[in-house]
Amino acid sequence: MSIGGILTILMYALAPFVWLLIMGLIIIIGLHLLAYLRGYQITHHRSRPANLLALLIGLTAILWVPWLTHSALGFVATAVDWIALIGAAAATFVIALIILHPLSYLISLKHEELPKQ
Amino acid sequence: MQKPSLLTQKVTRRALLKVGSGLGVGSLLPLSGLSASTLRTQAHIVVLGGGAAGMAMVNRLAKRLQGGTITLVEPRETHHYQPGWTLVASGVWNADKTMRPNAQFLPRGVNWVREHAASIDADNKRITLAGGETLEYDFLIVATGIQLNYHLIEGMKPELVGQHGIGSVYAGIEEASRTNQAIQTWLQNGHGRGIFTAAPTPVKCAGAPLKMTFTTLSRLEASGRRDAFDVDYMAPGASLFSQPWVDEFVKQRFDDQGVNRRHHYRLSAIDPHAKQAEFAFVGPESEFTSHHQLRQAEFRRDDQPTVIADYDFIHVVPPMSAHDFVKQSALIAQDGPFRGEWLDVDIHTLQHNRYPEVFGIGDVIGAPINKTAASVKAQAPVVEENLLALMQGNALPARHMGYTSCPMITGIGKAMLVEFGYADNFAFMPSFPFIDPTEESWAVWVMKDRMLQPAYYAVLEGQA
Repeated sequence: MSIGGILTILMYALAPFVWLLIMGLIIIIGLHLLAYLRGYQITHHRSRPANLLALLIGLTAILWVPWLTHSALGFVATAVDWIALIGAAAATFVIALIILHPLSYLISLKHEELPKQ
Repeated sequence: MQKPSLLTQKVTRRALLKVGSGLGVGSLLPLSGLSASTLRTQAHIVVLGGGAAGMAMVNRLAKRLQGGTITLVEPRETHHYQPGWTLVASGVWNADKTMRPNAQFLPRGVNWVREHAASIDADNKRITLAGGETLEYDFLIVATGIQLNYHLIEGMKPELVGQHGIGSVYAGIEEASRTNQAIQTWLQNGHGRGIFTAAPTPVKCAGAPLKMTFTTLSRLEASGRRDAFDVDYMAPGASLFSQPWVDEFVKQRFDDQGVNRRHHYRLSAIDPHAKQAEFAFVGPESEFTSHHQLRQAEFRRDDQPTVIADYDFIHVVPPMSAHDFVKQSALIAQDGPFRGEWLDVDIHTLQHNRYPEVFGIGDVIGAPINKTAASVKAQAPVVEENLLALMQGNALPARHMGYTSCPMITGIGKAMLVEFGYADNFAFMPSFPFIDPTEESWAVWVMKDRMLQPAYYAVLEGQA
């Protein structure tokens, strides 16, 4: 199958979820914008809890991604299966981090502001 | 095999005159904004059937033809994603997921006749509709799909599916749901005998009877009481699947999973109230392969010994053929392995062997394999190219190599991507070099569960 054919099918597969993807993008961009306006810089902010939580979500994806597809981890057998599953887990980790990292900054900011009230 | 002699015999007069007015320099005219070149024509093209094959063809032709008339004859308002029916009958999908309005796929400018076709007069290039109206055509694409002949099993009718322990994934989407309920009821009984049958004719999605067995085995094993259930598989021939490697694999897996395989038995009658099935022993001389079949006349033989089997659940696979109105037309195969049952086409060019202005695509054609939606994906561009070449008086350039595909579900959650073609005794034709067709895989299951339906809709719209 050609790359063009694969991309066409991917587009058809994603089409029903476009609104969901757009909503997710809006949330992520909004979150980053909000954090940025309050002094957030992606390279400067350090948050071990956010990193650990994102890692945990990514790792647990190895368990729940097969379940989401009406399958089970026990059926992940071939090299292609493992590459696909590890890829899905890595993507989940990255998405979780993109959300949790600015979120942790906003939360920490709120905690710093609290004693002043 | 290409048939230039047939082409010049019959197509030249009326049809070529109609096409000729728009041909100009006698070539495909490239138009801006379109990926493929288009052909000016005044021809009337009738597509019989709006399933996967028919809908793919009207979409492809609507993109390629300018000025002609395309008529789709399809009575149903709803398009069914039939490859999803095994997942519905296995309790994995909801029925709603498999249905969409036909109108969603129909391109602009196509004349949609919402009626059944009643007859085809191939000599006069005329279709008679169920309402009595007639349609004349210059070119005809027969994509009428398959007829389910439940009546050849005494006592059986589709209305029984879901009752008396009877399941049948083929009968329709409602029946697929009721098959799931019948399996569930059997499971809740906690014990009993399940019989899975196969048909002594070519069937659409030849893997479906096997998939239903495998997914039910998964459910039996998940119940924790597998030993309390007996599972029989009654096959009309020595083989279970046309692809030799897969055939051996399935046999071995059935043996490993405690399925009692019985060969050379076909379901001849059913007594729903007594929950008994009668099987005729058809014998090794009626060897079942994809292209040497028992014919309808042989279903009425009285000299075949029979056995009666009690069941708690039975999965019925009906004998199948082309629709009666196709069988009664001159388009049906007159001799060879498909005689009287299937459309007579060249299996490579998909052009009719005797009526060159007629093409066949999908389940209706007489071919050793190919009754799948995946085959339609491979056949549609061939019919498109060859029809356009014919309309210009050229030799047919495209050939179908028999590509077909069956994501062979070997349990709920795993599958094998089995792709093969005509050559070398149905040798594998893998689309992806990194997916081994002989390996059970979660990734392939995900393809079946999530990716094949969008791929199917892309085929329908002529995009893949």
